[in-house]
Amino acid sequence: MQKYISRQNFTKLLDQLIATGTRVVAPRMNAGTPLYEPLASSAEMVMDQLPRRSAKEAYFPVCEDIMTYEKEGQKVSITDIDPARFPETVLVGVRPCDACAIPVLDAVFSWDYKDEFFLERRRKTTIVGLACTTSDDACFCTAVGLSPADTKGSDLFLTPLEGGGYVCETFSDKGEALINDHTSLFNEPNNATPLPLAQPYTEKFDLKKVKVWLDEHFEDSSWDEIALRCVGCGACAFVCPACHCFDIVDEGTEKAGKRRKNWDACGFWKFTHHASGHNPRDQQPKRYRNRIMHKFKYYDDKFGQTLCTGCGRCIRVCPVGIDIAQIVEEISKK
Amino acid sequence: MSDHTNKNIYLPYMATVSEVIDETPDVRTLKLVFQDEQVRENFSFRAGQFAEYSAFGAGESTFCIASSPTRKGFIECCFRSVGRVTEALRRLEVGDTMGVRGPYGNSFPIEEFFGKNLLFVTGGIALPPLRTLIWNCLDWRDKFGDITIVYGARTESDLVYKRELQEWQERADVRLVKTVDPGGNGPEWDGKVGFVPTVLEEAAPSADSTIALVCGPPIMIKFTLPVLEKLGFTDDQVYTTLENRMKCGLGKCGRCNVGNVYVCKDGPVFTARQVKAMPLEF
Repeated sequence: MQKYISRQNFTKLLDQLIATGTRVVAPRMNAGTPLYEPLASSAEMVMDQLPRRSAKEAYFPVCEDIMTYEKEGQKVSITDIDPARFPETVLVGVRPCDACAIPVLDAVFSWDYKDEFFLERRRKTTIVGLACTTSDDACFCTAVGLSPADTKGSDLFLTPLEGGGYVCETFSDKGEALINDHTSLFNEPNNATPLPLAQPYTEKFDLKKVKVWLDEHFEDSSWDEIALRCVGCGACAFVCPACHCFDIVDEGTEKAGKRRKNWDACGFWKFTHHASGHNPRDQQPKRYRNRIMHKFKYYDDKFGQTLCTGCGRCIRVCPVGIDIAQIVEEISKK
Repeated sequence: MSDHTNKNIYLPYMATVSEVIDETPDVRTLKLVFQDEQVRENFSFRAGQFAEYSAFGAGESTFCIASSPTRKGFIECCFRSVGRVTEALRRLEVGDTMGVRGPYGNSFPIEEFFGKNLLFVTGGIALPPLRTLIWNCLDWRDKFGDITIVYGARTESDLVYKRELQEWQERADVRLVKTVDPGGNGPEWDGKVGFVPTVLEEAAPSADSTIALVCGPPIMIKFTLPVLEKLGFTDDQVYTTLENRMKCGLGKCGRCNVGNVYVCKDGPVFTARQVKAMPLEF
């Protein structure tokens, strides 16, 4: 289904959703930083700036309770989390680099055992993607085979038009439902010109060649060079739309508390550290190698795709200037 | 007993500590009985599988299920107190409650071993992952040929399951070769003195129609594999079980991988051929 929505009606749509109790998450300014966060009103939304962190927090929270426990005498009772507490969410203004990562994460959390924390939140989330009309030096979605107008992962996709308003294209029942529930706000598409798309990166990486090199170079002196600067801060994993490693920890006392699933990062030295003191990835280059390997080889081996959407966020936040696009480009030319 | 329904996959079963056995000054066995009658009756696993054991308030730890699947109504775990969770598990007393998630991972293909001789080679705290299989095989004794167990530890007091070593030593249908590292023997010691690989080479079990099951610290594995090769074992005749730090045990949390192999899903049981194909990341 294809429709048109004016800029004004679009804000009405969000305000109506908010008024009826739907959680609307969209880019908004938080202390000067654009982040995907729940909106109190459509006026808070900023559509023209790329959020600093990815959109994954909306359906994969940084910290998530997975149960609570309580001890009485020698008995412990545990209480499950009621999925009814997960809010119906419309995630708006999602950049293609964020939306394209969603099916990638679906694969992880639904293969074999089903992680209902992730999957139930996903079921309750409608993704409204937004084509990018601007980019910066760190953007490289085109280099990994995606585009500023990639609709993968979106239920409804917005293409901004000259003079305001959007073309809305649906890609799922959820996307259609969003239009059908608010038909008065949508019109038939007109012949307004779409705004020109962003043109992030001219070169396209040969990801097959990258993978072939990675297949054969687990041991290679260039890993030391690549990761020499890495300080293991984990920022790259925390802003990444596709990183999904997590920890399971108890927070509380022996008497009562909760068990939580918290984001983690393979860049941390403790990530693989055994209680015995042994650590299979005992040096930072080994940890950074795992990051590259997971994104461009291991995930591909298992699910046939790359675990990187070229959003460039890790490049923007890295305190020591590590540039994953440059690394992958160099590997592709080896 | 994989539970693939739309339930919370992170919820543990509740189990009562029914027995506490000190194996060494810092290694302890906990015998656990599931509190829910249905779980108690239906929980089934295969030798080689592991579980996530929780001490509430401290978190979860990954160990193998150390008891045999042929012994019903309980499971056992065996651990050394070295970290936050294991120290909390050590504080548990008989009657206390702990959590168990599992069973997870693959298992020893025991049916493929029927009719063959079995050679177990292990050291120190690495006996529990093989002990489950040893008892499984002893309970099905007529399905196997000769059973040889080569087991060593740094010192006599570091040997775990001492009462069972005694039992195996006394059985006519088991050959137990026990050893301690040089200097680890007391005046009463009736076993060998020497490192496991050396003692294995001296014991020289035949590779003919034999499956070798090896578990031990990386250094023991490193020196044991060449000895097995010398004795004529092919890489497909040798099995081991790996461990890496884990959190979920379900192939999601992303930390137990050795290269692209997930120990929690693809393992923990691997042949020597599979291990040799892996990068050195364990």
